[in-house]
Parts: sequence; structure tokens; C-alpha cells
Amino acid sequence: MIDIDRLIFSFFNLKIAEKYLPLIAEGVATTISLGLAVIFTGILVGLLLSLVRSQQIKFINLFIIILVDICRSLPPLVLIILFYFALPYVQISMSAFTSTWFALSLVLAAFSEEIFWAGILSIPKGQWEAARSTGLSSWRALMYVILPQALKLTVAPLTSRAIAITKGTALGSVVALHEVLNIASSSSSEAGNATPLIMGAFVYLIIFIPFVMFGRWVESHFSWKR
Amino acid sequence: MENSSPAILELKNIHKHFGANHVLKDVDLRVQSGSLVFIIGPSGSGKSTLLRCCNLLETPDSGRVLFKGEDINLKGVDVNLVRQKIGMVFQSFNLYPHMNALSNVSLALRKVLKLSSAESQELSLAALERVGMRHKAESLPSELSGGQQQRVAIARSLALKPDILLFDEPTSALDPELVGGVLKVMRELRESGMTMVVVSHEMSFAKAAADHAVFMDQGKIIEEGTASELFENPSNARVKEFLATLKHD
Repeated sequence: MIDIDRLIFSFFNLKIAEKYLPLIAEGVATTISLGLAVIFTGILVGLLLSLVRSQQIKFINLFIIILVDICRSLPPLVLIILFYFALPYVQISMSAFTSTWFALSLVLAAFSEEIFWAGILSIPKGQWEAARSTGLSSWRALMYVILPQALKLTVAPLTSRAIAITKGTALGSVVALHEVLNIASSSSSEAGNATPLIMGAFVYLIIFIPFVMFGRWVESHFSWKR
Repeated sequence: MENSSPAILELKNIHKHFGANHVLKDVDLRVQSGSLVFIIGPSGSGKSTLLRCCNLLETPDSGRVLFKGEDINLKGVDVNLVRQKIGMVFQSFNLYPHMNALSNVSLALRKVLKLSSAESQELSLAALERVGMRHKAESLPSELSGGQQQRVAIARSLALKPDILLFDEPTSALDPELVGGVLKVMRELRESGMTMVVVSHEMSFAKAAADHAVFMDQGKIIEEGTASELFENPSNARVKEFLATLKHD
């Protein structure tokens, strides 16, 4: 038999919720701004890397592939901890926000590059040939013919990957970043009650469910007949 | 047979390898201005590769590609500039699926020639008119039949006012009843004096419209001559054999 009263007292305690709400709200601002920053830099850098890769300069491509494979293989948490704790030993000091942003951006950039590249590669060779045959330079063919087609294919996987990595902002709690999870968990310790943690969970839902719904809309909007 | 007309396109001593495969073996091709040159031969003979060397979609390993007297197979040549004047029509049309017919045709005019949108629209509509597709200017490629798509593809090359048009098996991917529409456009282009090089199996079209015909096998030109010489009275046994198989279509 579940004791409903005890459940409510421990997890849905209104008095405690009221007390810690302002604190958690501050964390929301950090989580959202960090998330947006990661999405912006991650996807932009990923796109640029894929465009560079399309120029097919062997030596540069090798460098990109190595970088991308490393960033896709390392757990984001490891990168965050490395940047925050290890870099100071080589005179580079990053704040909790910067370490988390930089680490997550690298990971998103690596995955995005692969997604953009797969999109570019999937465009039939005939499209390149037709574009180049009318005098378009390699760059213009990419901009006006290839990328517009490739981008439509990348939106769905990019959105889902961006959501997955951006939830990693919670990892910033490990380096004392004042984001939602950090605040929720220390508030719960202080209060001796799980309610702040439940509030934290709700906050993540409130932030990410719209993101997920946006992803669905984007997926259905960006399909066209071949 | 000496030709006094200028050769607008001349390929000399062309060699091409794909890996270990010697695909073109010292091939020469001469295309006179205003003529229609037909290239036939079994698959794997190198005819498409030879055609694609004409606009450098394939770069020959050695040999010269002379367009209007200038070797374009050299470092430092602005290939993009040259390709404005050498049009190409592909077996699979290769229209841009994310743009309608008008935009497909006008893209190069807007982005390469940097014409105003009014001027590029005018030229594009004229090109579409010439292939009988003006009424479908707003249609997406997915809304067009194969034959219509191919005609839009021809218009896309025509809009740049090229000196020569290359056709790589233009009707091979079309349903039989749509082939006629495309061949009609090609015949009209021929009559208007366009220089054309065509790789195709359409023998009746070749007999009716080709000035010069070339038979390729295993990377070499085995025989060439006027259309009637090659198709009616070839001297080479291999050519006779190939033409006989085509008659069974």
C-alpha cells in the first residue's frame, strides 16, 4: 500500500517548492542560455567542417576525421572535466559555463559534421555534374544546388542529436555550474526532501518538450517529393 | 575527305584510365561547327567517357581538348567559363528537384552570368518556349514526365546560348512514347544550326539527322564516316555485327 500522504510530503511538498522556486528559476536561465549557445556553435562549426571536407583536400580531411572521431567517442562529461580541471595546468582557465559550453559544442559539432557530410554525400553525383556543366563553380554548386537538398535531409537527425547533447547541460553540475540539476540537487540536500529534484525534473520537461515538438514539426515540414 | 569548315571541338590523342582500366586509347574526334556527330558502340566502349571529356567532366590523362582552337585541358584554364558554352544533357536529366522548371533554367543566368532577375526570367522563358515547355515553367521536376524533364534540361543548357551541345544517351531513360518529343526538339536544334555531339542508340534519328557518325569499341574509334556510310555500308565486321543486334529492337 502506497502512503499517498508520505509520497506528497516527500516529492510534491508545496511549502518546500515555494521556498526553492526562485533559486531553481535562476538555474533555468543558465540551462537555457547554455543550451542555445551549444546549439549555435555546435551546428555552425559542424556545418563549416563539412563544407571544408567537401573540398576534398586529403590532409585537411584526415585532420577533420580524427578530430570528429575523438569528439564522438569521448563521453561529454570527460571533456567537461578535462577542460575545467586539466587545462589550468597549461595556463588556460575556463569557467564552469565555458568548459561545459566548449565541451558540449565540440561534441555537437562532431556529430553535426557527420550528419551534414552524410547529407552532402547522399545527393546524387548527377546533381553536381549538371550544376558544374552550366558553369557553376564548385562553391556555387554547393550553395545553390547541393546544400539546399542536403539540408532538408539533415534537419531531422540534427534536431534529435541537438536535443540529446543539450540535455548534457545537466553535466555542468559536476563542475559546480549553477544550472538546474545542480541547484535542484543541493536544494534537496539542504531541505532533506526530494521535492526540489522533482521540480528540477519538471523544469527539464518544460524546456525540452517544446524542443522535441519543434523537432517533429521541422521533420514533417522539411520533406518534399523527389 | 578534307573538311574546310572550322572544327569547333577537337579531341586529339585522348587517353583515359579508370584505375587499371584503359578506357580511352588514343582517341581523336573532330566536330565541325553546325554539324551533328553521332557516337555509337556497345556499352563499355568508352563513348560516354569520350563525351564527358568534351566538357572536362572527365579529365583526360593525356591528349588535347581544343575548343574553338584553344586547349582547355590545361592548368590555368577557367573551366567554369568554358562550360557556359559547352552544354550537356544527361541520361537521367539531373534537374534540381528543389526548384521549379523556370528556376532550373535560370540558375546559371542569375548566379554565374549575374543577370537581373527580369532578364534571366525572360531568357529562361524563351528557352523553355523553344523546347515547348513554357507552360510548365512553374512546375517542379517531380510534377513532370520524363520527356518533359529532359526538355527542361535541354532548355537549361540552351539558356546560356552555348556553342555546342553534348547529349549523353538523352532518351535511354525514357518510356518509348516520350522519346519522340525529345527527338523532335533535338531535330529542331539541329535545323537551327546548333553543333551537337550525341551518344545514343536511336538509329533512325541518327540516320535522319547525323552528319558524321563514329563507332567506338573497347576505347577506340573503329570506324567513322557520314551517317549513310556507317549505317548502310560499314566496312568493319565489328560494326556490322553491332548494327545487326540493334535491328532486333
